[in-house]
Amino acid sequence: MKKRAVSLLLAASLTCGLAVTGLTGCGENNGGKESVRLMVWSPSEDQSKDSGEWLQTRCEAFADAHPEWDITFVYGVMDEASAGEQVAQDPDASADVFMYANNSLEPMRNADAIVRFGGKYREQIEKTNTPEVLDTLIMDDNLYGIPFTTNLWFMYYDKSVFSEDDIKNLDTMLEKGVVSFPFVNSWYLPAFYIGNGCTLFGEDGKDEAAGVDFGGENAVEVTDYLIDLAKNPNFKIDDLGSGIAGMRDGSINAMFSGSWDANAVKEALGDNMGAAALPTYTLNGEEKQMYAYAGTKAIGVNTHSKYMVQAIELAIWLGNADSQRLHYELRQVVPCNTELLEEADIQQDDLVMAQNNTFSYTSIIQPLVNQMNNCWTPVENMGKGIRNGSVTHENAQQQTEQMNEAMNSDGIS
Amino acid sequence: MAGQKMHSAKKRRFINNTIVHAVLAVLAVVWVFPIVWVILTSFRAEKGSYVSTFLPQSYTLDNYIKLFTDTSILNFPQMFMNTLFIAICSCILSTFYVLAASYCLSRLRFKLRKPYMNMAMILGLFPAFMSMIAVYFILKALGLTEGNLIKLALIMVYSGGAALSFQIAKGFFDTIPLAVDEAALIDGCTRWQIFTKITLPLSKPIVVYTVLTSFMGPWLDFIFAKVICRANSDQYTIAIGLWRMLEKEYIDSWYTCFAAGAVLISIPIAALFLYMQRYYVDGLSGAVKG
Repeated sequence: MKKRAVSLLLAASLTCGLAVTGLTGCGENNGGKESVRLMVWSPSEDQSKDSGEWLQTRCEAFADAHPEWDITFVYGVMDEASAGEQVAQDPDASADVFMYANNSLEPMRNADAIVRFGGKYREQIEKTNTPEVLDTLIMDDNLYGIPFTTNLWFMYYDKSVFSEDDIKNLDTMLEKGVVSFPFVNSWYLPAFYIGNGCTLFGEDGKDEAAGVDFGGENAVEVTDYLIDLAKNPNFKIDDLGSGIAGMRDGSINAMFSGSWDANAVKEALGDNMGAAALPTYTLNGEEKQMYAYAGTKAIGVNTHSKYMVQAIELAIWLGNADSQRLHYELRQVVPCNTELLEEADIQQDDLVMAQNNTFSYTSIIQPLVNQMNNCWTPVENMGKGIRNGSVTHENAQQQTEQMNEAMNSDGIS
Repeated sequence: MAGQKMHSAKKRRFINNTIVHAVLAVLAVVWVFPIVWVILTSFRAEKGSYVSTFLPQSYTLDNYIKLFTDTSILNFPQMFMNTLFIAICSCILSTFYVLAASYCLSRLRFKLRKPYMNMAMILGLFPAFMSMIAVYFILKALGLTEGNLIKLALIMVYSGGAALSFQIAKGFFDTIPLAVDEAALIDGCTRWQIFTKITLPLSKPIVVYTVLTSFMGPWLDFIFAKVICRANSDQYTIAIGLWRMLEKEYIDSWYTCFAAGAVLISIPIAALFLYMQRYYVDGLSGAVKG
C-alpha cells in the first residue's frame, strides 16, 4: 500500500493534462432561468424511502418555491458527526449545503470552509431560535449555521417504577429501582462534576485561557460520591449497550441516552416509557443538579460553493419551521424552532420536552475550544478507575487532582 | 527390567501427550472462541449489542435477511458487489504485477535491478496511510473521486503499488534452478514462455499466496475506501458499511446484522482459500530433480 503514492504519482503526471478539462463547472442561463447545481449532504435516513425521503421532499419544495432557478440537486450521504471533518479536509469537493454537529465547527473554521451568516439571514435565524441554541453555533460573534435540533442526552425511565416526583432525584430513584448510567463514557460522567461547581473554560465555555477546573475540594467530593454510587447494588454501569439491553429484559428501570435510542426504549417499555430532563443528586445532604454537555446539529454552507445565494437560501429553507416539522413527523427529530415548539402536539410529546428541557435547564454548552480535546480521556479513565476499584476513598483526592491536571495539560494523556 | 522401562516410557509419553493436548485444547478454544461468538451472534434473535448470556436465547435467520432486504439505510448487497468487483479486479492486476516483477528481479539482470530493490525496501518502511491524503488529492485531480470512477480509483490504489512487494515471490523464484530456464532457452523458449510455462507451474504455492493476499487487501481495506468514497454512499465498500453499523445511531438495531455481515465477508476468502489450498501441496513435488 505504501507504494501506492509513488505509482499514483506516476499515473498522475501522465494523465494530468487530460483531467483538468473534465472539471469545468456550469452556470449558463437556461431560458431566462439560472441553472444551479447544489450538492447536499445529509445522513442516509433523511434520504431513505423507508423514512419518507425528508431531504428530497424539502429540496423539491424549495425548487418549486424558487421558479427563477433551475436547480439540480446532488445528494450525498454524510452523517452529521463526520461532515465537519470531511468538509474541512476538502471543501472544494464537498457539499454546498450540509448538516453537521456543532462540535465539528472548529476544523471547518480553521479551514475557512464554512459560511458566516450575517445581515438579514442572521436576523431571520435569530427570530426563530433561542439565544442558547444559537450560542452553540457562534464563535467570535459569527454565526455559522441554522440549528435544526439539539444534540444531547437525557433520561429514559419506566413510568411503572418511578413517579413524577421520584425522577427529580437520582438517589430517590436508586431506592425504588435500578438505574443505569454510562459511567465510563466521558460525554456523560462530567455531569456530576459540573453539578458541583466544576467548570470548563470559563463561564461560557469559550475562554480557552481559563482552563478546566475539575480539581479542588468540590471535585473530590464528587469523586467520593461516584465511588459510593458505583458500589450501589441498584446502580448499573451502562457500557457497550448494556443499558438498553437491561431495559429490554426489565433488569434496568432507567437509563441515560439520547433521541437515537428513543425507538428502542419505546419498543422495550411501550406505554410506560418516560423521558425527562436530568435529575439532581444528593451530595452530602445537598441537592446538586446534573448537567449534560449540550450541542446542536445545524445546517451549514460551504464557502467554496459556486451558488452562494441559492445555497444559503436552501440552508435556511431546510432549517425553517416547515422542514423541522416534517423532520419531526418522519423521523422524530426533535425540533428547536421556537414557533414550532409552541404548537400543541409538540408540547405534549414527552421526548421533545425531555430533550428541550434538558437543553434549557440541565445542560451546559459543550465547549468547542481546541483544548477540549484533552478533556475526554482523563474523565474516562476516572470512570474506569472507579469501576475497577483503583480509585478509592483513600486516593480520591490525589486521583481527582491528577485528572484535573491531565485535562489542563497539552500533552497526550 | 526391560519391560518396566518400556512401561514407564509409555507412561511418560502418555502423560506428555495428555499435557500437550490439554494445552492445545485450551489454546484452540481461545482462538476459536471469538469466531464462534460472532457466528452465534449473527443468528441471535434478541436485538442490541449487549446480552447477558453467552449463548443466544433464540435463533433466527432474520439478521441475514435484513442485511439483504433492508437496503434503504445501509445497502449491504450493493456494498458487497462493489467490494467484490474491486477486490477481483485488483487481485488479478496485483497478482500479475507481483509475479512479473518478481520474475524479472529474480531472472533478469539489468542496471536498475539493485537500485529498484533498494528503493522498494525503503518505501516499504513507511506506513501506507501516510500517503492517504496525497493519494486522495491526486485522484481528485484526475477526476476519479466521483461516481463509478471511484471503483477505478480504488482498483488503482490497491493494485498500483503491488510490484513493490515482490520480496517473497522473488525469494521463491530464486530457489528454482537456473538450469531449468537455460534448458528452456536452448529449446527456443522466449522469456515470456519460460515465465508462463515453466516458472509459474513450478511455483504454485507462491502464486496461491500472492492471489490470496492481493485479494484480501482490497477486500478488507477500510482506510483508503473511507477517504476516497466520502459522501458517495453508492460506492461504499463493505468495510465502510460494517463500520457504519457500529455507530451510535445504528448499533442497537444493526449489531446482529453486523455480525451476519462479518460472517458473510469471510465466505469469499474462505472459498478462495479452499479452492486454492490443494496447490499448496502440488508445488514443487517431483517436478524438478537435482
